[in-house]
Amino acid sequence: MKTYSSYLHIFLVTGLLGFAACKTSINTPAPSRGTADFSRYISVGNSLTAGYADNGLYLEGQLNSYPSIIAAQMQKVGGGTFTQPLFGTDQADGSGHLILTGFNADGTPKTQQVAATAVRNQVTVPNFGTVTLFTKYKGDINNYGVPGIKLQQITFGQLGNLNGYFERMLPTDFPTNTNSTYLDFVTAKPYTFFTDWLGNNDALLYATSGGAGDVLTDKAQFSQLYNLSITQLTKTGQKGAVATIPDVTAVPYFNTVTVGAILAAVQKANPAAKALYVNALVSGTTYAPRVATAADLIILTFPTSMIGQPVSTPAGNLPYGLTPYTPIDNKYVLDQGEVALTQDYVNAYNATIKSVASSKGLAIFDAYTFLNNVKANGLVVDGVNLSSAYISGGIFSLDGVHLTPRGYAVVANEFIKAINKQYNASIPLANVSSYRGVKFP
Amino acid sequence: MFSQNKRHIINQLYFIMRKLILLLFAIIPSFVLAQGFQVNLHGQKQIGMGHTGTGLLQDGASVLFNPGAVAMLPQNYVQAGMSPLLFKSDFNPSGSTDQFRTKSKIATPFTAYGVWGPKDARWKIGLGVYTPYGGLTDWGNDWIGKYSLESLNLKAIYFQPTLSVKLTDFLSVGAGFVYNHGTVDLTRAIPVSNSSGQDGQAELKGSGHGFGWNAGAFLKTDIGLTIGLDYRSQVNTTVKNGNAIFNVANSIQSNFPQPNTFTTTLPLPSTSSIGLGYKPSDKWTLALDANFTKWDVYKTLGFDYAKNAPTLQDTYSPRNYKNGWSYRAGAEYKATSKLFVRGGGGYVTTAVRDGYVTPEAPDANRYYLTAGLGYKVTKNLDLDVSFEYEHLDARTQTNIESQLSGTFKTNVYIPGLSLAYHW
Repeated sequence: MKTYSSYLHIFLVTGLLGFAACKTSINTPAPSRGTADFSRYISVGNSLTAGYADNGLYLEGQLNSYPSIIAAQMQKVGGGTFTQPLFGTDQADGSGHLILTGFNADGTPKTQQVAATAVRNQVTVPNFGTVTLFTKYKGDINNYGVPGIKLQQITFGQLGNLNGYFERMLPTDFPTNTNSTYLDFVTAKPYTFFTDWLGNNDALLYATSGGAGDVLTDKAQFSQLYNLSITQLTKTGQKGAVATIPDVTAVPYFNTVTVGAILAAVQKANPAAKALYVNALVSGTTYAPRVATAADLIILTFPTSMIGQPVSTPAGNLPYGLTPYTPIDNKYVLDQGEVALTQDYVNAYNATIKSVASSKGLAIFDAYTFLNNVKANGLVVDGVNLSSAYISGGIFSLDGVHLTPRGYAVVANEFIKAINKQYNASIPLANVSSYRGVKFP
Repeated sequence: MFSQNKRHIINQLYFIMRKLILLLFAIIPSFVLAQGFQVNLHGQKQIGMGHTGTGLLQDGASVLFNPGAVAMLPQNYVQAGMSPLLFKSDFNPSGSTDQFRTKSKIATPFTAYGVWGPKDARWKIGLGVYTPYGGLTDWGNDWIGKYSLESLNLKAIYFQPTLSVKLTDFLSVGAGFVYNHGTVDLTRAIPVSNSSGQDGQAELKGSGHGFGWNAGAFLKTDIGLTIGLDYRSQVNTTVKNGNAIFNVANSIQSNFPQPNTFTTTLPLPSTSSIGLGYKPSDKWTLALDANFTKWDVYKTLGFDYAKNAPTLQDTYSPRNYKNGWSYRAGAEYKATSKLFVRGGGGYVTTAVRDGYVTPEAPDANRYYLTAGLGYKVTKNLDLDVSFEYEHLDARTQTNIESQLSGTFKTNVYIPGLSLAYHW
């Protein structure tokens, strides 16, 4: 018996070990680059392209930028190396950024700013303001995302002295960058493929400042510069993909703190309060106070504690936000008229983007339609329910405008789908579930 | 798109509705268990012959295959066997070249049977302990479907006392009572990152029990053909007060109350079988079986948590299974007076409809091939070994609940060994 059982033991164990080595495999067709060439891919754009998140540009965000995710997938179809102007690991917090530190008893989030580690200097430029300069980046660049840049600025020779994120990429230092345009800089070195997601700031900076701190780029100027930039980007027959500009109302920055929620909270303490007042656009540049409605969008960073605080007026002290004499400041509200104005401009910009891209045979990721869809219906990917909600939605980072790594992975896949379709390619999609959403303490 | 850092006042959002956080994580853990967890490894002689046995008199495994046949067994039996099982699944997400494979873990289905009756009596009693349902699937915690499932370890052990009576020389019947002890241990990632970027995890772990019965009839004919009919009832297995462990970042732990327990009921479906056996010569035994598994009782899978929170509601996942069939054939050749060679195979239709395939048991239509050897060590002792290869067709699916989209393909390798003492 002993011999038999030891014999059989060996049979079973060796048998199973043998099969453990067998791999079940699914045959997948070899991915193809189609009619495109990804040997040097560059990405052109603003903060979204740079990997900006949580109200800052920092190493983790850069490492999860959508261009870097796309590039990693392109490498499976012959794409080349992709180098980003990263902050060093010793300066990983970069410009500084927000982190979530917990929740108040009422369920509202508590955040904290992590200090910058890559600031080199702060300089004052007359008639402009303060420019923060960062540790210079020296080396090859594939990701040309510059936080804050507008399409309107891409041919402006002084930009290298006014935008610290652009200055950091340039070979020369502030204040000698008087003749380096963004468009020339990104097209200086040969490339075979590009993505271009410029134009958001031409509308968004107006919107995020409540229509008070910035201006919308003129539609005709947008069209002229978009044509110019695409012509230059495709000058030697390069292929590429562009994206449209999201609807400002699709981001949590404008959808989290609402007129209804503020009023409800006010009325809890003071049932007599009937309405909130905002200083709203009438026409042109004329503003007048009126009762706030649900169509007026309050920005995420509005300090709601100001509501009801006494404000000195000719009629005596009146509570802030609750009377027509003390409306909520314009800078905190994108009122209904401003929303309509912004949407009109965004629609015009997007019409330009789509027509120019189509005429050049470029792939188009319609971010406008995609994000509006996410807002309306949510998005389920790999067993995760994503939405446009602040913090819980998983897509938007703590600043309510920029994306989490998971959000950027979703965007990368949408770009890849558009590229695959336009160029008959089959770049494999990225694994969205391997990227994180908001970090909880 | 902010070109400069401003002072941040997000912490002053006193008025964001509490709803915001309460609505966090619409991703309520809803666990699912699927068809492929029926295990048909009930005796080495039978496995070798393609899992046939309802219409045969092989050994004590008749307690399971057909209690009606037990009284016809020529001898008394005590036997035990084990069939270590290696379940190797592969998943290829749609639009991707990635392949995610289950880890090599070995499940251990086993059988033990005893059959006894006085010499020349018309009756026999029996006891079977076996594992008709189970699953051991470990996809790991870094694969694309981790929010659907990381790992599942499911075991159902049936204890079945049986009585069988020979009504005439050519007809016998039998019936058994079934007590099931089931255990489940299931883990899944929760899509909320902690401060180091790692997912949360849910684990449901518990045991429960259920009851059922089975009955069968066995008929010998003059022409050497034997016929068996068998019915195994549904066994509703209820896990009560299992541990529901949710491991998430501290700041949101209160959204997942701890400690917590869950209750769930899993209907292990009934199976009806008809089997034929035929001995064309002294050397050969041929067998055919057909089985009908009434999976359509599996409509939903619910988990009822003892402590709910707005983010942790009871769950009801639609399963909507359809009934499944299996067709089996096998043969045994008596090579010498001591050595038996066996072979067989079969085809099983899937119970899982399109859109409901999950990583727990990525089911599809499947075929299998088996081989076996039997050796009479002594007059009273049989040693049997078996081997089975099972192949589940590649199935490309988008799950209606998780939207997990891609192709599953599975191979199963099952060696086995048993000893049977008979007198």
